[in-house]
Amino acid sequence: MMTTKEIINDLQDYYLLALRGLAGMFTRPFYFRDAIDQMDYAGAGSFPIIVLVALFIGMALSLQLSAEFGRLGLRMYTGKAVGITVIREIGPVMAALVFTGRVGAGMASELGSMVLGHQVDSFRVFGVDPIKKLVTPRLISAIIMLPVLTVIGDALSILGAYYIVVFVSNQSGYVYWKSIRDVLIFENIVAGSVKPFIFGFLIASISCYSGLTTMGGAAGLRQATTNAVVLSIISIIISDFALTRILLYMLGFSV
Amino acid sequence: MIKFDHVCFSYGERTVLNDASFFIDSGERVAILGGSGEGKTTILKLILGLLRPDSGRILIDGEDLTDKAESELRDVRMKFSIVFQEGALFDSLNVRENVAFCLREYSKLSEEEIDRRVRELLRLVGVEHAIELMPDELSGGMHRRVAIARSLAVCDPAMFLYDEPTSGLDPVNADTICRLIIDLSKNEKGFIIVTHKVYDAMRVAGRFMFLKGGSVVFDGNRELLLQASIPDINIFMSELRGVCDN
Repeated sequence: MMTTKEIINDLQDYYLLALRGLAGMFTRPFYFRDAIDQMDYAGAGSFPIIVLVALFIGMALSLQLSAEFGRLGLRMYTGKAVGITVIREIGPVMAALVFTGRVGAGMASELGSMVLGHQVDSFRVFGVDPIKKLVTPRLISAIIMLPVLTVIGDALSILGAYYIVVFVSNQSGYVYWKSIRDVLIFENIVAGSVKPFIFGFLIASISCYSGLTTMGGAAGLRQATTNAVVLSIISIIISDFALTRILLYMLGFSV
Repeated sequence: MIKFDHVCFSYGERTVLNDASFFIDSGERVAILGGSGEGKTTILKLILGLLRPDSGRILIDGEDLTDKAESELRDVRMKFSIVFQEGALFDSLNVRENVAFCLREYSKLSEEEIDRRVRELLRLVGVEHAIELMPDELSGGMHRRVAIARSLAVCDPAMFLYDEPTSGLDPVNADTICRLIIDLSKNEKGFIIVTHKVYDAMRVAGRFMFLKGGSVVFDGNRELLLQASIPDINIFMSELRGVCDN
Protein backbone atom coordinates (compact mmCIF):
# COMPACT_ATOMS: atom_id res chain seq x y z
CA MET A 1 0.00 0.00 0.00
CA MET A 2 1.40 3.40 -1.00
CA THR A 3 1.72 6.18 1.56
CA THR A 4 0.33 9.65 0.91
CA LYS A 5 3.87 10.95 0.52
CA GLU A 6 4.63 8.36 -2.14
CA ILE A 7 1.43 9.18 -4.04
CA ILE A 8 2.28 12.91 -3.98
CA ASN A 9 5.85 12.17 -5.13
CA ASP A 10 4.55 9.97 -7.94
CA LEU A 11 2.06 12.63 -9.04
CA GLN A 12 4.79 15.27 -9.00
CA ASP A 13 7.09 13.06 -11.09
CA TYR A 14 4.24 12.29 -13.51
CA TYR A 15 3.42 15.98 -14.02
CA LEU A 16 7.08 16.79 -14.59
CA LEU A 17 7.44 14.01 -17.14
CA ALA A 18 4.23 15.03 -18.94
CA LEU A 19 5.28 18.69 -19.04
CA ARG A 20 8.81 17.91 -20.21
CA GLY A 21 7.37 15.57 -22.82
CA LEU A 22 5.12 18.35 -24.11
CA ALA A 23 7.91 20.94 -23.99
CA GLY A 24 10.02 18.55 -26.07
CA MET A 25 7.68 19.17 -29.01
CA PHE A 26 8.91 22.75 -29.24
CA THR A 27 12.63 22.47 -28.53
CA ARG A 28 15.51 20.92 -30.47
CA PRO A 29 16.53 18.23 -31.22
CA PHE A 30 13.40 16.87 -32.92
CA TYR A 31 13.11 13.14 -33.35
CA PHE A 32 10.83 13.10 -36.41
CA ARG A 33 11.68 9.55 -37.40
CA ASP A 34 10.75 8.24 -33.96
CA ALA A 35 7.47 10.16 -34.07
CA ILE A 36 6.64 8.72 -37.51
CA ASP A 37 7.47 5.19 -36.29
CA GLN A 38 5.23 5.67 -33.29
CA MET A 39 2.42 7.06 -35.43
CA ASP A 40 2.66 4.05 -37.68
CA TYR A 41 2.51 1.70 -34.68
CA ALA A 42 -0.32 3.58 -32.96
CA GLY A 43 -2.35 4.58 -36.00
CA ALA A 44 -1.95 2.05 -38.78
CA GLY A 45 -1.51 -0.77 -36.26
CA SER A 46 -4.71 0.08 -34.39
CA PHE A 47 -6.80 0.66 -37.52
CA PRO A 48 -8.11 -2.93 -38.01
CA ILE A 49 -9.11 -3.22 -34.34
CA ILE A 50 -10.90 0.13 -34.38
CA VAL A 51 -12.74 -0.88 -37.57
CA LEU A 52 -13.96 -4.11 -36.04
CA VAL A 53 -14.90 -2.71 -32.64
CA ALA A 54 -16.57 0.43 -34.00
CA LEU A 55 -18.63 -1.48 -36.56
CA PHE A 56 -20.03 -3.91 -34.00
CA ILE A 57 -20.59 -1.24 -31.34
CA GLY A 58 -22.58 0.78 -33.89
CA MET A 59 -24.67 -2.27 -34.78
CA ALA A 60 -25.29 -3.25 -31.14
CA LEU A 61 -26.21 0.31 -30.22
CA SER A 62 -28.61 0.54 -33.14
CA LEU A 63 -30.27 -2.76 -32.19
CA GLN A 64 -30.81 -1.60 -28.61
CA LEU A 65 -32.18 1.79 -29.62
CA SER A 66 -34.42 0.37 -32.37
CA ALA A 67 -35.91 -2.13 -29.94
CA GLU A 68 -36.58 0.48 -27.25
CA PHE A 69 -37.78 3.25 -29.60
CA GLY A 70 -40.00 0.68 -31.38
CA ARG A 71 -41.89 0.05 -28.16
CA LEU A 72 -42.48 3.80 -27.80
CA GLY A 73 -43.35 4.31 -31.47
CA LEU A 74 -40.30 6.54 -31.97
CA ARG A 75 -38.25 4.28 -34.23
CA MET A 76 -37.52 7.12 -36.66
CA TYR A 77 -35.35 8.74 -33.98
CA THR A 78 -32.89 5.84 -33.99
CA GLY A 79 -30.55 7.61 -36.40
CA LYS A 80 -30.50 10.80 -34.38
CA ALA A 81 -29.87 8.96 -31.09
CA VAL A 82 -27.13 6.85 -32.66
CA GLY A 83 -25.48 9.93 -34.19
CA ILE A 84 -25.44 11.95 -30.99
CA THR A 85 -24.35 9.03 -28.81
CA VAL A 86 -21.56 7.96 -31.14
CA ILE A 87 -20.20 11.39 -32.02
CA ARG A 88 -20.35 12.97 -28.60
CA GLU A 89 -19.72 10.07 -26.25
CA ILE A 90 -19.24 6.47 -27.33
CA GLY A 91 -16.92 7.12 -30.29
CA PRO A 92 -14.20 9.00 -28.38
CA VAL A 93 -14.41 6.77 -25.30
CA MET A 94 -14.47 3.53 -27.31
CA ALA A 95 -11.47 4.57 -29.42
CA ALA A 96 -9.59 5.69 -26.30
CA LEU A 97 -10.21 2.38 -24.53
CA VAL A 98 -9.08 0.36 -27.55
CA PHE A 99 -6.04 2.65 -27.87
CA THR A 100 -5.22 2.10 -24.19
CA GLY A 101 -5.39 -1.66 -24.51
CA ARG A 102 -3.22 -1.83 -27.58
CA VAL A 103 -0.99 1.24 -27.69
CA GLY A 104 -0.82 2.27 -24.02
CA ALA A 105 0.04 -1.25 -22.86
CA GLY A 106 2.59 -1.50 -25.68
CA MET A 107 4.25 1.79 -24.71
CA ALA A 108 4.52 0.81 -21.05
CA SER A 109 5.92 -2.65 -21.73
CA GLU A 110 8.37 -1.40 -24.39
CA LEU A 111 9.72 1.41 -22.20
CA GLY A 112 9.73 -0.90 -19.18
CA SER A 113 11.87 -3.47 -20.93
CA MET A 114 14.17 -0.68 -22.15
CA VAL A 115 14.62 0.45 -18.54
CA LEU A 116 15.31 -3.09 -17.33
CA GLY A 117 17.72 -3.71 -20.23
CA HIS A 118 19.66 -0.49 -19.41
CA GLN A 119 18.76 0.99 -22.81
CA VAL A 120 17.38 4.12 -21.13
CA ASP A 121 20.60 4.42 -19.11
CA SER A 122 22.52 4.09 -22.40
CA PHE A 123 20.63 7.09 -23.81
CA ARG A 124 21.56 9.12 -20.75
CA VAL A 125 25.20 8.07 -20.95
CA PHE A 126 25.28 9.10 -24.62
CA GLY A 127 23.86 12.49 -23.62
CA VAL A 128 20.44 11.89 -25.16
CA ASP A 129 17.46 13.06 -23.11
CA PRO A 130 15.25 9.93 -22.75
CA ILE A 131 12.13 12.07 -22.37
CA LYS A 132 12.71 13.86 -25.68
CA LYS A 133 13.75 10.68 -27.42
CA LEU A 134 11.12 8.32 -26.00
CA VAL A 135 8.24 10.27 -24.45
CA THR A 136 7.77 13.20 -26.84
CA PRO A 137 7.39 11.05 -30.00
CA ARG A 138 4.82 8.88 -28.19
CA LEU A 139 2.88 11.94 -27.01
CA ILE A 140 2.87 13.36 -30.54
CA SER A 141 1.74 10.04 -31.95
CA ALA A 142 -1.12 9.62 -29.46
CA ILE A 143 -2.29 13.24 -29.73
CA ILE A 144 -2.46 13.00 -33.53
CA MET A 145 -3.52 9.40 -34.11
CA LEU A 146 -6.26 9.01 -31.49
CA PRO A 147 -8.43 11.80 -32.97
CA VAL A 148 -7.91 10.30 -36.44
CA LEU A 149 -8.91 6.85 -35.20
CA THR A 150 -11.89 8.36 -33.38
CA VAL A 151 -13.21 9.97 -36.58
CA ILE A 152 -12.78 6.68 -38.46
CA GLY A 153 -14.44 4.80 -35.59
CA ASP A 154 -17.36 7.26 -35.51
CA ALA A 155 -17.92 6.85 -39.25
CA LEU A 156 -17.86 3.06 -39.03
CA SER A 157 -20.18 2.93 -36.00
CA ILE A 158 -22.66 5.07 -37.94
CA LEU A 159 -22.27 2.76 -40.94
CA GLY A 160 -22.85 -0.32 -38.75
CA ALA A 161 -25.94 1.30 -37.27
CA TYR A 162 -27.18 2.08 -40.80
CA TYR A 163 -27.02 -1.62 -41.69
CA ILE A 164 -29.20 -2.54 -38.67
CA VAL A 165 -31.65 0.34 -39.18
CA VAL A 166 -32.18 -0.38 -42.87
CA PHE A 167 -31.75 -4.14 -43.26
CA VAL A 168 -32.85 -5.47 -39.86
CA SER A 169 -35.22 -2.86 -38.50
CA ASN A 170 -36.58 -2.10 -42.01
CA GLN A 171 -36.52 1.68 -41.61
CA SER A 172 -35.89 4.26 -44.29
CA GLY A 173 -32.24 4.81 -45.17
CA TYR A 174 -33.05 8.35 -46.30
CA VAL A 175 -34.53 9.25 -42.90
CA TYR A 176 -31.50 7.69 -41.17
CA TRP A 177 -28.96 9.72 -43.17
CA LYS A 178 -31.02 12.86 -42.78
CA SER A 179 -30.99 12.34 -39.00
CA ILE A 180 -27.23 11.83 -39.07
CA ARG A 181 -26.76 15.00 -41.16
CA ASP A 182 -28.91 16.89 -38.65
CA VAL A 183 -26.70 15.90 -35.73
CA LEU A 184 -23.50 16.84 -37.56
CA ILE A 185 -23.65 20.37 -36.22
CA PHE A 186 -20.72 22.43 -34.91
CA GLU A 187 -21.56 21.88 -31.23
CA ASN A 188 -21.75 18.09 -31.51
CA ILE A 189 -18.59 17.87 -33.59
CA VAL A 190 -16.65 20.05 -31.14
CA ALA A 191 -18.04 18.09 -28.17
CA GLY A 192 -16.77 14.86 -29.71
CA SER A 193 -13.52 16.03 -31.25
CA VAL A 194 -11.92 17.79 -28.28
CA LYS A 195 -11.96 14.66 -26.13
CA PRO A 196 -9.61 12.44 -28.19
CA PHE A 197 -6.79 15.00 -27.98
CA ILE A 198 -7.02 15.02 -24.18
CA PHE A 199 -7.44 11.23 -23.99
CA GLY A 200 -4.44 10.71 -26.29
CA PHE A 201 -2.27 12.91 -24.09
CA LEU A 202 -3.43 11.13 -20.92
CA ILE A 203 -2.89 7.61 -22.34
CA ALA A 204 0.59 8.33 -23.70
CA SER A 205 1.82 10.28 -20.66
CA ILE A 206 0.49 7.74 -18.12
CA SER A 207 1.83 4.79 -20.12
CA CYS A 208 5.26 6.38 -20.60
CA TYR A 209 5.45 7.24 -16.91
CA SER A 210 4.52 3.68 -15.92
CA GLY A 211 7.07 2.26 -18.34
CA LEU A 212 9.91 4.54 -17.31
CA THR A 213 9.38 3.85 -13.60
CA THR A 214 9.52 0.07 -14.03
CA MET A 215 11.54 -1.74 -11.37
CA GLY A 216 12.13 -5.33 -10.45
CA GLY A 217 12.33 -7.62 -13.48
CA ALA A 218 9.43 -9.45 -15.13
CA ALA A 219 7.07 -8.92 -12.20
CA GLY A 220 7.82 -5.19 -12.29
CA LEU A 221 7.16 -5.10 -16.01
CA ARG A 222 3.80 -6.82 -15.51
CA GLN A 223 2.95 -4.30 -12.79
CA ALA A 224 3.98 -1.34 -14.97
CA THR A 225 1.82 -2.54 -17.87
CA THR A 226 -1.14 -3.19 -15.59
CA ASN A 227 -0.74 0.23 -13.98
CA ALA A 228 -0.60 1.90 -17.40
CA VAL A 229 -3.84 0.29 -18.57
CA VAL A 230 -5.77 0.64 -15.31
CA LEU A 231 -4.73 4.25 -14.64
CA SER A 232 -5.36 5.23 -18.26
CA ILE A 233 -8.87 3.73 -18.22
CA ILE A 234 -9.73 5.41 -14.91
CA SER A 235 -8.41 8.76 -16.12
CA ILE A 236 -10.31 8.44 -19.41
CA ILE A 237 -13.61 7.72 -17.65
CA ILE A 238 -13.21 10.50 -15.08
CA SER A 239 -11.93 13.08 -17.55
CA ASP A 240 -14.72 12.12 -19.96
CA PHE A 241 -17.27 13.08 -17.34
CA ALA A 242 -15.47 16.33 -16.55
CA LEU A 243 -14.99 17.22 -20.22
CA THR A 244 -18.63 16.42 -21.02
CA ARG A 245 -19.78 18.71 -18.22
CA ILE A 246 -17.45 21.52 -19.34
CA LEU A 247 -18.17 21.18 -23.06
CA LEU A 248 -21.94 21.04 -22.63
CA TYR A 249 -21.75 24.20 -20.55
CA MET A 250 -19.43 25.98 -22.97
CA LEU A 251 -21.43 24.99 -26.05
CA GLY A 252 -24.68 26.18 -24.56
CA PHE A 253 -26.46 22.87 -23.99
CA SER A 254 -28.85 22.92 -21.04
CA VAL A 255 -28.81 19.87 -18.79
CA MET B 1 40.39 10.17 -11.21
CA ILE B 2 37.44 8.60 -9.33
CA LYS B 3 37.00 9.28 -5.66
CA PHE B 4 34.19 7.90 -3.50
CA ASP B 5 34.07 9.78 -0.23
CA HIS B 6 31.89 8.09 2.44
CA VAL B 7 29.18 7.27 -0.09
CA CYS B 8 25.89 5.77 1.08
CA PHE B 9 23.18 4.62 -1.30
CA SER B 10 19.96 2.68 -0.88
CA TYR B 11 17.09 1.49 -3.05
CA GLY B 12 14.13 2.36 -0.83
CA GLU B 13 14.64 0.49 2.43
CA ARG B 14 17.50 -1.67 1.12
CA THR B 15 20.94 -0.24 1.78
CA VAL B 16 23.33 -1.06 -1.03
CA LEU B 17 26.38 1.07 -0.23
CA ASN B 18 27.23 1.99 3.32
CA ASP B 19 30.02 4.52 3.82
CA ALA B 20 32.03 3.35 0.82
CA SER B 21 35.30 5.21 0.25
CA PHE B 22 38.01 4.54 -2.32
CA PHE B 23 40.11 6.18 -5.03
CA ILE B 24 40.78 4.83 -8.52
CA ASP B 25 43.38 6.41 -10.79
CA SER B 26 42.81 6.77 -14.52
CA GLY B 27 45.33 4.14 -15.67
CA GLU B 28 44.31 1.45 -13.17
CA ARG B 29 42.81 -1.90 -14.11
CA VAL B 30 40.34 -2.54 -11.33
CA ALA B 31 38.00 -5.47 -10.76
CA ILE B 32 35.10 -5.00 -8.38
CA LEU B 33 34.01 -8.37 -7.05
CA GLY B 34 31.08 -9.32 -4.88
CA GLY B 35 27.88 -11.28 -4.78
CA SER B 36 24.60 -10.36 -6.45
CA GLY B 37 22.94 -7.28 -4.99
CA GLU B 38 26.11 -6.10 -3.25
CA GLY B 39 26.18 -2.82 -5.19
CA LYS B 40 28.72 -3.52 -7.93
CA THR B 41 26.57 -2.18 -10.78
CA THR B 42 25.38 0.63 -8.51
CA ILE B 43 28.98 1.86 -8.21
CA LEU B 44 29.25 2.16 -12.02
CA LYS B 45 25.94 4.00 -12.19
CA LEU B 46 27.05 6.37 -9.44
CA ILE B 47 30.31 7.08 -11.29
CA LEU B 48 28.29 8.11 -14.37
CA GLY B 49 25.78 10.14 -12.36
CA LEU B 50 22.93 7.84 -13.39
CA LEU B 51 22.16 7.47 -9.68
CA ARG B 52 22.71 9.98 -6.92
CA PRO B 53 24.13 9.00 -3.53
CA ASP B 54 22.03 9.44 -0.39
CA SER B 55 25.08 10.94 1.29
CA GLY B 56 28.80 11.34 0.69
CA ARG B 57 30.59 12.73 -2.36
CA ILE B 58 31.70 11.33 -5.70
CA LEU B 59 34.49 13.23 -7.41
CA ILE B 60 35.63 12.70 -10.99
CA ASP B 61 38.88 14.52 -11.72
CA GLY B 62 38.12 16.68 -8.70
CA GLU B 63 34.62 17.60 -9.89
CA ASP B 64 31.85 16.78 -7.45
CA LEU B 65 29.01 14.98 -9.25
CA THR B 66 26.65 15.08 -6.31
CA ASP B 67 25.03 18.42 -7.04
CA LYS B 68 25.33 18.47 -10.82
CA ALA B 69 22.19 18.74 -12.93
CA GLU B 70 21.56 16.10 -15.63
CA SER B 71 22.56 18.56 -18.37
CA GLU B 72 25.90 19.25 -16.63
CA LEU B 73 26.85 15.57 -16.44
CA ARG B 74 27.47 15.06 -20.14
CA ASP B 75 31.10 16.18 -20.01
CA VAL B 76 31.79 13.85 -17.09
CA ARG B 77 30.09 10.92 -18.85
CA MET B 78 32.16 11.50 -21.96
CA LYS B 79 35.27 10.61 -19.96
CA PHE B 80 33.99 7.06 -19.69
CA SER B 81 32.92 4.34 -22.02
CA ILE B 82 30.50 1.88 -20.47
CA VAL B 83 29.37 -1.54 -21.58
CA PHE B 84 26.25 -2.43 -19.65
CA GLN B 85 25.28 -5.89 -18.55
CA GLU B 86 24.13 -7.91 -21.58
CA GLY B 87 25.14 -5.07 -23.88
CA ALA B 88 22.00 -2.90 -23.67
CA LEU B 89 21.85 -2.50 -27.44
CA PHE B 90 18.84 -0.59 -28.75
CA ASP B 91 16.65 -3.47 -29.86
CA SER B 92 14.75 -1.50 -32.51
CA LEU B 93 18.00 -0.70 -34.37
CA ASN B 94 20.30 -3.08 -36.24
CA VAL B 95 24.00 -3.41 -35.46
CA ARG B 96 25.00 -0.68 -37.94
CA GLU B 97 22.44 1.76 -36.51
CA ASN B 98 23.38 0.93 -32.93
CA VAL B 99 27.05 1.71 -33.51
CA ALA B 100 26.23 4.74 -35.66
CA PHE B 101 23.77 6.12 -33.09
CA CYS B 102 26.18 8.46 -31.32
CA LEU B 103 28.04 9.36 -34.48
CA ARG B 104 24.76 10.60 -35.95
CA GLU B 105 23.81 12.30 -32.72
CA TYR B 106 27.05 14.22 -32.11
CA SER B 107 29.28 14.30 -35.14
CA LYS B 108 28.88 16.12 -38.41
CA LEU B 109 30.24 13.17 -40.37
CA SER B 110 28.72 12.31 -43.73
CA GLU B 111 26.86 9.00 -44.17
CA GLU B 112 29.88 7.51 -45.98
CA GLU B 113 32.21 8.52 -43.16
CA ILE B 114 29.82 7.15 -40.56
CA ASP B 115 29.59 3.85 -42.45
CA ARG B 116 33.38 3.65 -42.69
CA ARG B 117 33.80 4.37 -38.97
CA VAL B 118 31.11 1.82 -38.02
CA ARG B 119 32.80 -0.89 -40.11
CA GLU B 120 36.17 0.03 -38.61
CA LEU B 121 34.83 -0.35 -35.06
CA LEU B 122 33.02 -3.60 -35.85
CA ARG B 123 36.19 -4.97 -37.46
CA LEU B 124 38.12 -4.05 -34.30
CA VAL B 125 35.80 -6.22 -32.18
CA GLY B 126 35.51 -8.92 -34.84
CA VAL B 127 31.83 -8.71 -35.78
CA GLU B 128 31.86 -6.78 -39.07
CA HIS B 129 29.93 -9.63 -40.71
CA ALA B 130 26.97 -8.95 -38.37
CA ILE B 131 26.51 -5.35 -39.48
CA GLU B 132 22.98 -5.82 -40.82
CA LEU B 133 21.70 -8.10 -38.02
CA MET B 134 19.23 -7.05 -35.35
CA PRO B 135 20.26 -7.40 -31.68
CA ASP B 136 17.95 -10.37 -31.13
CA GLU B 137 19.77 -12.24 -33.91
CA LEU B 138 23.14 -11.95 -32.16
CA SER B 139 24.71 -14.48 -29.81
CA GLY B 140 25.63 -13.36 -26.28
CA GLY B 141 29.28 -12.85 -27.19
CA MET B 142 28.48 -10.89 -30.34
CA HIS B 143 26.06 -8.78 -28.36
CA ARG B 144 28.81 -7.73 -25.94
CA ARG B 145 31.28 -7.09 -28.74
CA VAL B 146 28.83 -4.85 -30.59
CA ALA B 147 28.17 -3.04 -27.30
CA ILE B 148 31.92 -2.47 -26.91
CA ALA B 149 32.10 -1.15 -30.49
CA ARG B 150 29.18 1.20 -29.79
CA SER B 151 30.80 2.49 -26.62
CA LEU B 152 33.98 3.25 -28.56
CA ALA B 153 32.05 5.29 -31.11
CA VAL B 154 31.09 7.87 -28.49
CA CYS B 155 34.45 9.47 -27.91
CA ASP B 156 37.99 8.72 -26.89
CA PRO B 157 37.33 7.71 -23.28
CA ALA B 158 39.81 8.07 -20.44
CA MET B 159 38.48 4.94 -18.79
CA PHE B 160 36.32 1.93 -19.64
CA LEU B 161 33.56 0.59 -17.40
CA TYR B 162 32.40 -3.00 -17.90
CA ASP B 163 29.35 -4.37 -16.13
CA GLU B 164 29.49 -8.19 -16.00
CA PRO B 165 30.99 -8.38 -19.51
CA THR B 166 31.43 -12.15 -19.48
CA SER B 167 28.42 -13.31 -17.50
CA GLY B 168 26.34 -15.90 -19.31
CA LEU B 169 29.03 -16.48 -21.95
CA ASP B 170 30.72 -19.75 -22.82
CA PRO B 171 34.49 -19.93 -22.08
CA VAL B 172 35.47 -19.23 -25.72
CA ASN B 173 33.38 -16.06 -25.93
CA ALA B 174 34.40 -15.02 -22.41
CA ASP B 175 38.04 -15.41 -23.50
CA THR B 176 37.42 -13.25 -26.57
CA ILE B 177 35.86 -10.51 -24.45
CA CYS B 178 38.73 -10.65 -21.93
CA ARG B 179 41.29 -10.31 -24.73
CA LEU B 180 39.34 -7.36 -26.11
CA ILE B 181 39.29 -5.71 -22.69
CA ILE B 182 43.06 -6.13 -22.38
CA ASP B 183 43.67 -4.83 -25.92
CA LEU B 184 41.53 -1.76 -25.37
CA SER B 185 43.29 -0.91 -22.14
CA LYS B 186 46.64 -0.49 -23.88
CA ASN B 187 47.92 3.10 -24.16
CA GLU B 188 47.56 3.54 -20.41
CA LYS B 189 43.77 3.40 -20.49
CA GLY B 190 42.34 2.03 -17.30
CA PHE B 191 39.10 0.20 -16.69
CA ILE B 192 36.77 -0.96 -13.98
CA ILE B 193 35.30 -4.38 -14.50
CA VAL B 194 32.39 -5.42 -12.33
CA THR B 195 32.02 -9.17 -12.16
CA HIS B 196 31.47 -12.17 -9.96
CA LYS B 197 33.72 -14.34 -12.17
CA VAL B 198 37.06 -14.36 -10.37
CA TYR B 199 38.83 -16.21 -13.16
CA ASP B 200 38.04 -13.48 -15.70
CA ALA B 201 38.84 -10.74 -13.18
CA MET B 202 42.25 -12.29 -12.45
CA ARG B 203 43.04 -12.41 -16.16
CA VAL B 204 42.44 -8.76 -16.84
CA ALA B 205 42.79 -6.73 -13.64
CA GLY B 206 45.66 -5.69 -11.40
CA ARG B 207 43.70 -4.31 -8.48
CA PHE B 208 40.77 -6.01 -6.79
CA MET B 209 38.02 -4.64 -4.58
CA PHE B 210 35.56 -6.88 -2.82
CA LEU B 211 32.15 -5.61 -1.76
CA LYS B 212 30.23 -7.08 1.13
CA GLY B 213 27.31 -5.59 3.06
CA GLY B 214 27.61 -2.26 1.27
CA SER B 215 31.28 -1.73 2.15
CA VAL B 216 34.61 -2.38 0.48
CA VAL B 217 35.97 -5.22 2.67
CA PHE B 218 39.06 -5.87 0.53
CA ASP B 219 41.16 -3.61 -1.66
CA GLY B 220 44.47 -4.90 -2.93
CA ASN B 221 46.51 -6.55 -5.63
CA ARG B 222 46.50 -10.15 -6.91
CA GLU B 223 48.91 -11.48 -4.26
CA LEU B 224 46.93 -9.98 -1.40
CA LEU B 225 43.70 -11.33 -2.86
CA LEU B 226 45.11 -14.84 -3.03
CA GLN B 227 46.22 -14.61 0.61
CA ALA B 228 43.04 -12.93 1.89
CA SER B 229 41.44 -14.66 4.86
CA ILE B 230 37.96 -13.19 4.48
CA PRO B 231 35.45 -16.11 4.27
CA ASP B 232 33.39 -14.59 1.42
CA ILE B 233 36.49 -13.98 -0.66
CA ASN B 234 37.62 -17.55 -0.03
CA ILE B 235 34.30 -18.82 -1.39
CA PHE B 236 34.85 -16.73 -4.54
CA MET B 237 38.46 -17.86 -4.80
CA SER B 238 37.47 -21.52 -4.57
CA GLU B 239 36.32 -21.20 -8.20
CA LEU B 240 39.87 -20.21 -9.16
CA ARG B 241 41.52 -22.85 -6.97
CA GLY B 242 39.31 -25.47 -8.58
CA VAL B 243 40.62 -24.36 -11.99
CA CYS B 244 44.25 -24.32 -10.80
CA ASP B 245 44.00 -27.68 -9.00
CA ASN B 246 42.72 -29.32 -12.11
